[in-house]
Amino acid sequence: MTYLYALVGAGMFGCAIILILSRNMVRMLLGLSLLATGTNMLLFLAGRIRSQQPPIIEEGVRTLGESADPITQAMILTAIVIGFALTVMLAVLVLRAWRTQGTVDARDGDAAETLGPPRERDPVDA
Amino acid sequence: MIVVLLISFFGACTVPLLARVMGRGAGFLIALLPLGLLTGFVSVASIVERGWVRGQGIPWAPQLGLDFTLRLDGFSFLFCLLVTGIGALVIIYSGGYLTGKPRVERSRFFTLILLFMTAMLGTVLAENLLVLLIFWEATSVLSFLLVGFDGRSSRSRRAATMALQVTAFGGLMLLAAVCMIGHVLGTYSMAEAVRQADVIAASPFGGPIVACILIAAFTKSAQFPFHFWLPNAMQAPTPASAYLHSATMVKLGIYLLARFEPVFAATSWGRATVITVACITMLVAALQALRAENFKSALAYSTIASLGILTLLVGLDGPAATVAMVGFLMAHALYKAALFFCAGSVIHSTGQQNLRSLGGLVRVLPITAIACLGASLSMAGIPPFLGFISKEFLFEAQLESSWELVPLAIAVLVNAVMVGVAGVITLRPFFLGRDKLKPVRHKESLSIVAPPLLLALAGLIISLDPDWITRVALRPAVAAVYGRPVEVDISVWHGITPMLMLSFVAVSIGLLIIRFWRPIHTRLRSVDRLDAYSVERLWERGLRGLVAGARGLTAWVQHGDLRRYLLMVVAGTAALILWSVGMADAWPKLPEPGDVRIAPTIVALVGLGGAFAATRTKSLVAGLVATGLTGFSVAITFMMNGAPDLALTQFTVEALIVVLLTALLLAIPIATPATRTPGMRRSDAIIAALLAGLLFFGFLDMAAHGHESAAGEFFGRMSYVAAQGHNVVNVILVDFRAIDTLGETFVIAVSAILAASLLATRGRKAAPGTPAPVHFSFAIVGRGLALLLLAASIVILWRGHDQPGGGFVGGLVAALAFAVLSLAYGVDRAQRSLRARPLTLVGIGMGCALVSGLPAMLAGKPYLTHLWWDGGGVLPKLGTTIVFDLGVYLVVLGAVLAFLFGLQREASR
Repeated sequence: MTYLYALVGAGMFGCAIILILSRNMVRMLLGLSLLATGTNMLLFLAGRIRSQQPPIIEEGVRTLGESADPITQAMILTAIVIGFALTVMLAVLVLRAWRTQGTVDARDGDAAETLGPPRERDPVDA
Repeated sequence: MIVVLLISFFGACTVPLLARVMGRGAGFLIALLPLGLLTGFVSVASIVERGWVRGQGIPWAPQLGLDFTLRLDGFSFLFCLLVTGIGALVIIYSGGYLTGKPRVERSRFFTLILLFMTAMLGTVLAENLLVLLIFWEATSVLSFLLVGFDGRSSRSRRAATMALQVTAFGGLMLLAAVCMIGHVLGTYSMAEAVRQADVIAASPFGGPIVACILIAAFTKSAQFPFHFWLPNAMQAPTPASAYLHSATMVKLGIYLLARFEPVFAATSWGRATVITVACITMLVAALQALRAENFKSALAYSTIASLGILTLLVGLDGPAATVAMVGFLMAHALYKAALFFCAGSVIHSTGQQNLRSLGGLVRVLPITAIACLGASLSMAGIPPFLGFISKEFLFEAQLESSWELVPLAIAVLVNAVMVGVAGVITLRPFFLGRDKLKPVRHKESLSIVAPPLLLALAGLIISLDPDWITRVALRPAVAAVYGRPVEVDISVWHGITPMLMLSFVAVSIGLLIIRFWRPIHTRLRSVDRLDAYSVERLWERGLRGLVAGARGLTAWVQHGDLRRYLLMVVAGTAALILWSVGMADAWPKLPEPGDVRIAPTIVALVGLGGAFAATRTKSLVAGLVATGLTGFSVAITFMMNGAPDLALTQFTVEALIVVLLTALLLAIPIATPATRTPGMRRSDAIIAALLAGLLFFGFLDMAAHGHESAAGEFFGRMSYVAAQGHNVVNVILVDFRAIDTLGETFVIAVSAILAASLLATRGRKAAPGTPAPVHFSFAIVGRGLALLLLAASIVILWRGHDQPGGGFVGGLVAALAFAVLSLAYGVDRAQRSLRARPLTLVGIGMGCALVSGLPAMLAGKPYLTHLWWDGGGVLPKLGTTIVFDLGVYLVVLGAVLAFLFGLQREASR
């Protein structure tokens, strides 16, 4: 299973990169969401696939028995939530870009560039 | 001496404020500060006279070898006298010169001049080379401020920038030299550096050290090829020119050279370089002095020539050269400052400074004319003025030194030109061309005539009665520079000597130049090539090239295409991984292939398929669905591998993403043209595959090396014993690593605030049209489903400590309830049913999470140590963790709702 999960995680990661390299900002957004998913998958693998038992201490027992690794799970849990917030934040930005610039193409979002370099009329250039 | 510097510094900061409340007389009062310092220095003259050196130091940063050590020896003493004495005159003169300026401007000018004086004193008193460097740079900066004093004129801004660029470049060279000296000797003491000159020269850094020191000195003292900044610096107000750019600051290069003479003399090429540069400088400056059109630039070029002579004298060996250098340094400071004052008076009263259009001023400026005459006679080296004596020493030094006759011939020629320039600038504006006299704006006043007259008189008196100054300043200065006492005999008449003959030759040629100045001047001016090939032009072209180059490089690197930036990042990451793996020369270790379970395999492969589909599809909606497919399959994978918490969270998140992104996709066009050519897509795919392959092998290697996680084992053992929780994941989040979770919660809260501000409806509300019809299926189940989800979310939150669940998941599920409501009945009704603003929830939640850690502090335990109460047997066990988790729940709920309502409202506009 390790091979399979490594393949799947890395594959998702690669697909995410292809999406991120697009110039359509919505595809970049989907790519980032996918990147978070793929990374979580790989992170889960880093905790090793060793047991199907959840890390929950059974009633009447004081310590955790044989189970999956709790630490990676705690990390991934926050990672999922943060990744979600990131994705949605990007969605907000894309929507604002569409409202103000009328485009979702990253090439056209050049409001800063068209302002030109600062101190355009430098005495040395004059 | 430290006290002197402190008085000077604080005086410079406060005393000029007088100029704000006083009018014309302010200069005289402010001049009391430098005069007081001058008196202070004169009072220690008896110590210097005996050849003693006064040292003083306080440790500053001893670990760096940086101690604030000062010392006063003969050479420093001479400089201190000049700096404070001429400084006082400059202040008095400025009081009269700046009458046309507002008081604030005048006050600023006085402050800068006095600060400059402090920096000069610091430079010449510094013993530690780092201290010297600091004051040296301070003089450069103050020179910049004074040259650019008239900030509204573009010419003076340009001149100021140029002066700063050149001298700051020299300052950097000095910094390099000082660092290297510190590296070689292990100390920054100047005395030590001079004492171990041979060690420095013999070390591998010897050559660079000498080169850097020479460049630093040449830039400061305006030696070829760095001379061009000085004539431009004449844009400064004339008193500043007199002070900085003739009498004191430009002599710092000479000071440095004289101090480090043993060091550069210890190399084979040091003296030769100094002498060659000095000779070229003299020739260039003499030529330009004849071409100069106006008063101040003629003076500027003659100053460069004089600095060349001083440099030459430092470069020559033998005691006579040192005597000549010290003598000429003082004589030049006196007469050149006086001449600048006269030039300033002419400009002040007539408003113009072209030598050809001035004339007959002796009638309106009689005292200035006399002062100018006296100073010029000194400059020309006519007996009995001080300039004559110093010129005698100059020729004597050259005759005595072991060098060829070429420098001597150049020196004679340059002296002849100086005679010529002195004659021209005295005769033409003041005594010749009476018909050119025009009405003047200002008449002479005491503060304008006194300083030049005093200086010119000083030149005469010193040469007639040289006893005191020789005893207290010249002889100790020579001894300090030369290293041992030298007999200095100053008198006007030495008898008929070779030096006198050379003087005679120089004066004769000079008289010829005065006679034929006009034809020589016009002839030389017509040679345009001198301008075209000047170093100044080269410097400007270099600067322009630098800016153009920087702009080109920026345009090449900062192309503004997001895809190429990201490609660089991805490819760079892959290259770094490959490189480090290659360096380590290790092959990945592969784990044992375990058993393959059918169901999880299919789920995982479906997820991978979804990811592939997302890259292939052209429709954004299909892409969203495909990405969602991947997310769900990963959630199922989590569930099948013992991670129910993750599965729950992932399911909820995927559902919410679909809802939120649908709102986005409703607003923007779904069909978008392809943004990449097939070639680009292919190269992207190759690079992505490369990185994915590296990750694949990397994680296999990690899995193969896997070892038991000690922390995981600890949490498993302690989570019930110490934190009363069965669900280890949740216990880690809310208890063991609560500070981390608090931080992450905070991130979510901040992103919610950001989104709310970005999506705030600007100005106008959505038109209250008829509410959209509610779909039949929603009408039936919408409200019930939402209530069910809310109830579930509270259960999930409550049981989180012992069963799968917790604040994060709970909050997400609760948000899902409102998502259902808003899908069914619209945003407005969903928000009404919330009965609060989402950001209020975020705030309350943050407050809960922050407060939940406080009770522990009351109990004397660290912040966020959770406390438990067993419920007395009736209630279930209660702990502060539930407050913390409730905070997380509220923050997540509020944040998601802020996104949800904002996006949906913005999208429906």
